[in-house]
Amino acid sequence: MKRLLGVALGILTAIGGFVDIGDLVTNAVVGSRFGLSLAWVVVIGVLGICLFANMSGRVAAVSGRATFEVIRERMGPRAGLANLGASFLINLMTVTAEIGGIALALQLASGVSYMLWVPFALLAVWLVIWRVKFSIMENVTGLVGLSLVVFAVALFLLKPDWGALAGQAFTPSVSGEESVGAYWYYAIALFGAAMTPYEVFFFSSGAVEEGWKVKDLVQSRINVLMGFPLGGFLSIAIAACAAVVLLPAGISVTTLSEVVLPVAQAGGQLALAVLILGIVAATFGAALETTLSSGYTLAQFFGWPWGKFRRPAAASRFHVAMMVVLLAGVAVLATGVDPILVTEYSVVFSAIALPLTYLPILIVANDPQYMGKHVNGRAVNVAGLVYLVIILVASLAAIPLMIATGAGA
Amino acid sequence: MSKAKRIHPLKIRPAPRPAGLVLDAQLHLLDRQMLDVDGVPVSTVDDVELSGPEPDERIPEGAEAPVISALLTGPVLGTRIFGGRPPSSRLIRIPWSVVAGVDTVVKLGVRSDSLDASWVERWLRHHVIPRIPGGRHDPH
Repeated sequence: MKRLLGVALGILTAIGGFVDIGDLVTNAVVGSRFGLSLAWVVVIGVLGICLFANMSGRVAAVSGRATFEVIRERMGPRAGLANLGASFLINLMTVTAEIGGIALALQLASGVSYMLWVPFALLAVWLVIWRVKFSIMENVTGLVGLSLVVFAVALFLLKPDWGALAGQAFTPSVSGEESVGAYWYYAIALFGAAMTPYEVFFFSSGAVEEGWKVKDLVQSRINVLMGFPLGGFLSIAIAACAAVVLLPAGISVTTLSEVVLPVAQAGGQLALAVLILGIVAATFGAALETTLSSGYTLAQFFGWPWGKFRRPAAASRFHVAMMVVLLAGVAVLATGVDPILVTEYSVVFSAIALPLTYLPILIVANDPQYMGKHVNGRAVNVAGLVYLVIILVASLAAIPLMIATGAGA
Repeated sequence: MSKAKRIHPLKIRPAPRPAGLVLDAQLHLLDRQMLDVDGVPVSTVDDVELSGPEPDERIPEGAEAPVISALLTGPVLGTRIFGGRPPSSRLIRIPWSVVAGVDTVVKLGVRSDSLDASWVERWLRHHVIPRIPGGRHDPH
């Protein structure tokens, strides 16, 4: 019974933890412009993150080594440092976006400008990182983040033409006024939002934090294989809500108000309240994960002691680095830059950096010195290689498309 | 110093295969995590220091084979990435004598706090963390 509860808890937190500000904004933007015609990208992205999160979790559980240690060992200091630089910058952008997201959600709830909420959000995120145990942090934000299910509920309340939605999803086409370039640009953005590298850094380091052993692998696999696809469903529900309400009305998503508009229209104030709670929890959880990830990557590259299972005094560089990251993110927000814009760019840059993260994981998951008899099977390797090709294409196409389409404008 | 005539590598007789475990410095030492005797991460192996002749120095017949004298860490990493050689006095050494085992991690037989390699960690622990409440307690 207790084991069953553990499994259920893991799945629920994986669902709640899957969606972050990047998924929220990108899916709403895409839904409002392209309907469900990019839903297939979410499916591909979710399958990819399942594959590689599972792989990095297995590497961490079997060898006790988190992803970034492995990246440096395998790629050497030069490529490792380039990778660290890229990952760290994207992490910083994502931290900025998530803290902005918390503040924007609180603005929506209170009417007080998000700028005033930023210091509050910073303090709350840091306090949790400084003082709260890893498992509690994960479970609470994940469970409360489940309130985002209200997107799916709202979709039913909106009584959409299901046939038309399915038609958009299964026979994708670019609608009249949108350009093909913008379509593919947002395809890459959605892919980047679903497969953000920080999730893998966080997942593998989390496995070490929680002391996973080989026998825990079954449970982790269930969490990933059930939780992430259900999280992906939530992403598609966000896009569908936007497709039903915003697309016909010609409303474009530039702030969080448009993201929540369909839910408010469908379910009124109560639904809106639940949604805002969900957004705060989801962005808060993601702010914790990205901040920790930036600490993890730095500490693992340089070999510092890291982890929330150590008291801060026993991982001093790790904790000081995270404080600096949080302050840097807030400094960026203090310039008055639009957090939604930061989010949109962060998911595309994530897509660009994807190959750097996923190639070393695939290599090490095949190394018997680390993995013993738990090396990748043939099917996993074939899938991994197919994904590497997709990732590489997306990564190479991202910048030319960004320039050609004026960032999807 | 007149430059010694280089011997083409192909003309050197291969060394006899040593007995016991063979480690490839590139593959098994460089960039590996070092853990102390309690399993606490110390640093990463940023470089390896060998005893014996300097580059371009003439090697007398029958000279002792070079041995690893220390694992290096710290700023030396920069020279591996960007080139150059730091002065010997600036190297942070972990003497090879404290290495207890080489596996997917390099295990040391001493405590992290006894090594120069962890001075930044100790400095922050004593000068920054104590100024913030709660830093010395387990998270809960």
